[in-house]
Amino acid sequence: MNRILSKDFLSGLMFIGFGLIALYFGQKLALGTPVRMGPGYVPRMLALIMMGLGLLICVVALVAGAEPVEKPKWKPITLVTIGIVCFALLFERAGLLPALIVLILIASLAGEEFKLTEVLGNMVVLAAVCTLVFKVGLGMNISIIRGVW
Amino acid sequence: MELLDNLTLGFSVAFSLQNITYALLGCMLGTLIGVLPGIGPVATIAMLLPITFHLPPTASLIMLAGIYYGAAYGGSTTSILVNLPGEAASVVTCLDGYQMARRGRAGAALSISAVGSFFAGTVGTIIIVLFAEPLTRMAQKFGPADYCSLMALGLVAAVVLASGSVIKAIAMVFLGLLFGLVGTDVNTGAQRFTFDIPELSDGIDFAPIAMGLFGVAEIVVNLERHLTRTGTIKVGSLWPTREEVRRAIPAVLRGTMLGSLLGVLPGGGPTLGAFSAYTLEKKISKNPGEFGKGAVEGVASPEAANNAAAQTSFIPMLTLGIPSNAVMALMVGAMIIQGIQPGPEVMTKKPDLFWGMIASMWIGNAMLVVINLPMIGMWVKLLTVPYRFLAPAILLFCCIGAYSLQNSTFHVLQVAAFGVLGYVFSRLGCEGAPFLLGLVLGPQMEEYFRRAMLLSRGDPMVFLERPISLGLLITTAFLLVLMALPSIKKARKEAFQEEG
Repeated sequence: MNRILSKDFLSGLMFIGFGLIALYFGQKLALGTPVRMGPGYVPRMLALIMMGLGLLICVVALVAGAEPVEKPKWKPITLVTIGIVCFALLFERAGLLPALIVLILIASLAGEEFKLTEVLGNMVVLAAVCTLVFKVGLGMNISIIRGVW
Repeated sequence: MELLDNLTLGFSVAFSLQNITYALLGCMLGTLIGVLPGIGPVATIAMLLPITFHLPPTASLIMLAGIYYGAAYGGSTTSILVNLPGEAASVVTCLDGYQMARRGRAGAALSISAVGSFFAGTVGTIIIVLFAEPLTRMAQKFGPADYCSLMALGLVAAVVLASGSVIKAIAMVFLGLLFGLVGTDVNTGAQRFTFDIPELSDGIDFAPIAMGLFGVAEIVVNLERHLTRTGTIKVGSLWPTREEVRRAIPAVLRGTMLGSLLGVLPGGGPTLGAFSAYTLEKKISKNPGEFGKGAVEGVASPEAANNAAAQTSFIPMLTLGIPSNAVMALMVGAMIIQGIQPGPEVMTKKPDLFWGMIASMWIGNAMLVVINLPMIGMWVKLLTVPYRFLAPAILLFCCIGAYSLQNSTFHVLQVAAFGVLGYVFSRLGCEGAPFLLGLVLGPQMEEYFRRAMLLSRGDPMVFLERPISLGLLITTAFLLVLMALPSIKKARKEAFQEEG
């Protein structure tokens, strides 16, 4: 069990996985000949070599053992990702201010400490800074609140 | 006297009001972000990349170089004051720098490190000036096969010298190369791995990748670790005592020499320089017991080496177009976005950009000393801002920066995706730097490979028949074999343990 859940074994699997993805989605690309290589020649070559390396990493990890993976903490990575995705979805539809508020709120939840007053203060400061720097200063074509400014 | 002409040209470009302003701005911004705990130069540059894209090429590269120095400088500051290295290269500075700070000599440590770095940076710049032309002339004789082999050597050497597990790092290079191929194939116009997403047909933009992989992933890892700080920060007098100066000067000289040499090697760069310099100082010191307890040499020499190497690692990038570490990979990416193909042609076709950038390197180094030492109080204040305020703010700037690249939220989503990927990498102990190198070199390497094979009518022996290519490949193979030797394996393991 320990050997399976080691950093090396799992990263080996990851390389094999990426290789398979590249082979699968690259199968329609023409291979061509070594003289006139098609668009699929180099990707396929790279994918195969990478899978070979991945396999080697797996085997070494199984035989020699390797460092176990630390148990991931799901909260920070999940919340940070959700925060950025929300920002992307809101930015053009609703404007900078709503996107900013949502991102800061969610990203602040990802940390250890969360005090609402502090987070609100952070939002006010950042909103002011971003408006001044990006909208007024650099003159970027963005709306602060869609339809209003 | 061609050299003098070049330098005159360089300084006339660098001293124009516009460029000097951007150099200053870059240094300030770089220090500002670099001084924030837990954010190294790579993350800093990745985050600030979008700002520079809208500038003219020369100004943007000058600003980026300024950001780099500023970030490196900020990294030493946090190492000395709060024992938090922003990057691997300043880990050694923590060992003795922080101890000096605890004894109330923080100011002295900071000024020794700043002045030592400036001296080393000056020497590094002179070395670039001296070596740029001969190396460029050599590189102009390279054919496609030679270039392909050179890139292979660069990638392998970068991996061998700068990372923990060689085989994992090489696999990361291949993964990076594959990601680099996403987009329209230049030769046939075929869409590769674009999944019918129009934004991907120009290839994956490299700035969101760097932001996600280094910026976002780094923030998440820091959030997990939740950084704690001990004690209050007192800088004290900036003036070192006579005794400290006497001990620092030879150490700076040794560090500069070692750093300049190691910086030129692919994969060398600041980290290797700093670590070797520290080891050297400890070996030749009369009382090695002092190290780790606040030895002046332990700050002066690695800091000088770090900066000298940061400077000379520009040499392979500027003359051959081969980045030797993650920072240089970002520089190459920035050049490509500006429409400049890094390589020997930059010097001949755009001498103003080339020499202007070199001259501004020196100016940037000088600025750091002149501006930042008096401003140290302000940076210290910044250090006391808790991470729970910084993390959301940094994420926000990454998002807006990514959007501003092409006014598209697709890039923001890319940042999120590569943030997740970067997190997976760091959990699995796979390093981002080799991936980034592969990504940047991927398209060029494929191009050279295909051209070489076309010229040789499909005979792969061309890589072994051309003397330059053969020599480079033999060196590559030699490096790989060397890594497999048990004694070297052991020594490397020890070296990297000290790092971690």
